[in-house]
Amino acid sequence: MKPPPFDYVAARSVPDAIGLLADGGEDAKVLAGGQSLLPLLNMRLSRPSLLVDVNRIPELELVHVDGEVRLGATARQADVLASRAVRAALPLLTEALAHVGHAVTRSRGTIGGSLAHADPAAELPAVMLALEGAITATSPRGERTIGAEELISGPFATDLAPDELLTSVAVARQPERPFGFAELSRRHGDFALAGAVVLLEPARVVVFGVEGSATRRRDAEAALDDRADAGEVAELAARELDAVFDVHADGDYRRRVANVLVRRAVERARAVRG
Amino acid sequence: MAEPRLVQLAVDGRRRSGLAEPRLLLADFLRHELGLTGVHVACEQGGCGACLIRLDGRLALSCLVLAVQADGAAVETAEGLARNGELHPIQQAFRTKHGLQCGFCTPGLLLATRALLEADARPDEPTIRRHLSGNVCRCTGYTGIVAAVQEAARLVGEAAG
Amino acid sequence: MSRRFRYVGRGLPRVEDDRLLRGRVSFLDDVRLPGMLHVAFVRSPLAHAELRRVDTAAAAQLDGVTAVVTGADLPGELEIVTGSSRPEAGEWRRPLLARDRVRYVGEPVAAVAACSRYVAEDACELVAVEYEPLEPVVDAERALEPDATLLHERHGSNNFAHVEFEHGDVDAAFARAAHVFRKRFHFGRTHAAPLEARGGAADWSGDLTFWSSTQMPFLVRSMIARLYRLPETGVRVIVPAVGGGFGLKVHLYVEEAILPFLSRLVAAPVKWAEDRYEHLAASGHSKEVLCDLELATTDDGSFLGLRGRFLGDGGAHQGHPWSSLIDPLCAAAMLPGVYEVDAVAYEVDAAATNKCPSTAYRGVGWTSGQAAREALIDDAARTLGLDPIELRLRNCLPDGEPSVSATGCRYDGGSYRASLRRIRELVDYEGFRERQLRLRGQGRFVGIGFSPFVEQGGWAAQIAADQGFPGSGYLDSVCVTVEPDGSVTLATGLQSNGQGHETTLAQIAADGLGVRPEDVRVVQGDTATGAYSTGSWGSRTAVIAGGSILRAADDVRAKLLEIAAAELEAAAGDLQVEDGLVSVRGSPDRALSVASVAAAAYAGRVPSGLEPSLTSTRSYDPPATYSNACIACVVEVDAETGRTTVERLVAVEDCGTVVNPLVVDGQVAGAVAQGVGAILYEGLPYDADGQFLAGSLGEFLYPTAPELPDVEVDHLATPSPVTEGGIKGMGEGGLIGAPAAVVNAVADALEPFGVAIDRTPLRPCDILALIDSASAAATPATP
Repeated sequence: MKPPPFDYVAARSVPDAIGLLADGGEDAKVLAGGQSLLPLLNMRLSRPSLLVDVNRIPELELVHVDGEVRLGATARQADVLASRAVRAALPLLTEALAHVGHAVTRSRGTIGGSLAHADPAAELPAVMLALEGAITATSPRGERTIGAEELISGPFATDLAPDELLTSVAVARQPERPFGFAELSRRHGDFALAGAVVLLEPARVVVFGVEGSATRRRDAEAALDDRADAGEVAELAARELDAVFDVHADGDYRRRVANVLVRRAVERARAVRG
Repeated sequence: MAEPRLVQLAVDGRRRSGLAEPRLLLADFLRHELGLTGVHVACEQGGCGACLIRLDGRLALSCLVLAVQADGAAVETAEGLARNGELHPIQQAFRTKHGLQCGFCTPGLLLATRALLEADARPDEPTIRRHLSGNVCRCTGYTGIVAAVQEAARLVGEAAG
Repeated sequence: MSRRFRYVGRGLPRVEDDRLLRGRVSFLDDVRLPGMLHVAFVRSPLAHAELRRVDTAAAAQLDGVTAVVTGADLPGELEIVTGSSRPEAGEWRRPLLARDRVRYVGEPVAAVAACSRYVAEDACELVAVEYEPLEPVVDAERALEPDATLLHERHGSNNFAHVEFEHGDVDAAFARAAHVFRKRFHFGRTHAAPLEARGGAADWSGDLTFWSSTQMPFLVRSMIARLYRLPETGVRVIVPAVGGGFGLKVHLYVEEAILPFLSRLVAAPVKWAEDRYEHLAASGHSKEVLCDLELATTDDGSFLGLRGRFLGDGGAHQGHPWSSLIDPLCAAAMLPGVYEVDAVAYEVDAAATNKCPSTAYRGVGWTSGQAAREALIDDAARTLGLDPIELRLRNCLPDGEPSVSATGCRYDGGSYRASLRRIRELVDYEGFRERQLRLRGQGRFVGIGFSPFVEQGGWAAQIAADQGFPGSGYLDSVCVTVEPDGSVTLATGLQSNGQGHETTLAQIAADGLGVRPEDVRVVQGDTATGAYSTGSWGSRTAVIAGGSILRAADDVRAKLLEIAAAELEAAAGDLQVEDGLVSVRGSPDRALSVASVAAAAYAGRVPSGLEPSLTSTRSYDPPATYSNACIACVVEVDAETGRTTVERLVAVEDCGTVVNPLVVDGQVAGAVAQGVGAILYEGLPYDADGQFLAGSLGEFLYPTAPELPDVEVDHLATPSPVTEGGIKGMGEGGLIGAPAAVVNAVADALEPFGVAIDRTPLRPCDILALIDSASAAATPATP
């Protein structure tokens, strides 16, 4: 389908963008990579009155690696994936990014866009949750930092106010930290039917694609820190998952596969550690 | 601000312009305002790759870009691959290895192939298939396409010396 | 007649590729006409409802909208009437827009013509429709129950046709059988889903010019002319390049059929280019057949008899012109497949349901019947403790000799056994079984599935009769003309939608005339310049083009030789033509170019009494002919998640005389890929309310490159003894055979769990459910 009518403006700076969002009201939306928003517009599932394009704000494109990895909101997924510095500092992020969409979507898809869109089956929100990323957002009320867990409030919903712009996300550099990433999708690049992100030292277990948003499985994390066996950690992770269903899989299947994937991710993380 | 506005851009090296209201998709602007036939629309949700172009040097699905976003930009389509009438080595490879049948997915595939070979001059088969995961072909089953990309890698490598 | 072929059989690169690669080709949505308006449709959101009111006032007033039309605005005689050559079938009518009832989600209710597709869609949103929901019928068996809600009250039944057939003493065969194997197999709904969706355009001012993304321009012309009561001479159909068809585009759809009316109404050209939602929900669905099979065998597995009941889920209306019998009846007609079974009985029903109408898709119901029968045979092999290839070889038709199947299909001989043996070699069968055992010990499950089949070629009167549709007529002709400079025009009404006709037909004409393929220009896609044909579908082009081109070429060549004979002072019988040169056999210096012979003809310098025009239009209605092939698939199933990877796809193909092996291999690979898609990735689910659940490419999953391995194609050749040139035709085979091979591979992989597969598609969750519910015959070794 074709999109419904809307106004459009290209912001030239972060203050400019926030001012435009504030003026635009509830129905103004940020346009970043467009890989999630345009499909919604093209199916008329979203009817914003105004699109504020943030693609022409250079400071939002940054990919900076030193003691931490700091990624601007419009850092392109393809660029972050290709970055050797990011791979060295945060190999989990690089591995996860290879599963995000396809080469033809990663060239425009953004880090911030994926986080702000908050698709329950998306890899980036899950990874940031596991890595305890710190998201920076700016509004007319100033700048604030939101933890990844606070950012996502439900399916396609975040804590961001309508006049608030996600500007960057930062994660502490952790090149040696053992991790395991496992995802089940129907085809290469599809959204996950279920996925698991596991880190050790300290333990983090995140399940995505199963519930309304990615969640940390704290019982499983406790068991993992306690050196429980991978199967037991997985059982705890999958317990009481409030699973969604769609044409690809029902809730029981997703819970079951989450169990398998957490187990495999734990095994991989332990194998990495040696 | 919902009124049509002038969009000026370069398309395959030529200066072009046209009117676009904000909601007009770049794919429709290129095809219907500018009359290009080398961009095809098949899903309008980024799920098939038929509308693939290059925008300021990066791959872009033109059904997911607004025409107004391309003001001042350089757009490259598959129509710009041939030089002085001569087929690009990638195009030649697709021909000799039967990498196309109906041709609808072909322009997008050619651009995806060029991007792959720019990043990796000798990709192995799994890499080729993974890189092309966003380009749907219904006719070939991909066997001829993979052969074409491998041949293209060889030809491009030869040309580079 | 035996011919020597110089160009037929060679893998020449395609003529059409150059401009396709350059992107310099117009497809339907590239058609631009001065003053053209764009059409969009208001479509039903409900599966079954009375249509109470359609209020178009607000839509009509929107800036940029020229017209809004509903079913009530259309003259009563604007209906598509679909019958069948089968006496058991009725005649079902369909108005171009829903009148008092909607019967499937997506059914067109109103049409808008506006200055752009964007504005037309805005207007569609302003059309207010009042529906009164009716009980939806979403199950074919339910549809045939006596108390089921009727979709079309005037027919008194939801069954388009009930057909029965019996050959041989079937009851006796079953009575004396040592074993009777039964299987209920529900082949799921599939979609041809060409990458380019449907589209049409009409410009009706005086004469009517009609553009369509179609595989059958002349049939469209005939149908449109009849619908609008125009002489066929007043209608011209133009086909731009077609971005895939696979049978979907061998129909006349209401959305196209209404375009001339709209053009007349708005006094301007109008165009409709379908979007992906419309395509998935409301174009055509295929192959959904519920098969109940019974196989009677002796103690050692020899087949004694087959019974089948085939219930098609035909959707809400008849796909025009083939009807909803195209899937279940074809499945039934090919029930014996490559096997020698004399006692065969079948019953066919074609139920109407509140779903998208069913249409033909590459291989039609042969796909569904093949999957059911081959799965049943593997079930039988497992029960009898026999190797699946051995059991098939034991029952397979002998190679080479023509035979008539119990259902009346006139096979003209093939490599039925040889292809099975060949594929067994190619997959290194023994090595595979060793590997399979070894991997099971590691808790990994690989499996192999086989699917040998026949494929009809050249669908026309004889094949149609074989397949259960007697008494239909087909005219397919081509016109071959040598131009004044010796170049050749080949005009046809066949229509490429990816198969490379501009190359393959030129190869045939080149051999027929004695010129080079590059001297032959194939003209297609325009009824003003083509020759009447029912179009390209049903693997018919090579056979039918082959025959008609060779006949027309023979006519023209005979004239060329007569004229050359006079110039060369030789007997026509002593002359040969090759690569554009006419020469005396044995005296190469006594020669004339075809160009100079043509020049002579066009200047009237011909023997007296000889009609000088170097042109001939000939048709060909071929005898029944059948290719054969065997497909093997190797998969690995992750038993913890049900996710299945296709490791290997192999095809041994025998289509008799091959015109262009590059093209043949490409057709096999593409069709096999569609077969994998139909089983493992694609799905068209409806919920209990008839709501369609796969309206985007996020739900309907095309297989992409990482999901598939190379398709390996090997060749055997049993030329047809009955067709021109021995050509048998091909194109559908990969999709007839591959789904069965995939199903059998999955079942073979999960054999330790005792899984039996009885439905498609097989999502990972379906495979896991199969593992769960199967009673394990033997528990797999686990690490």
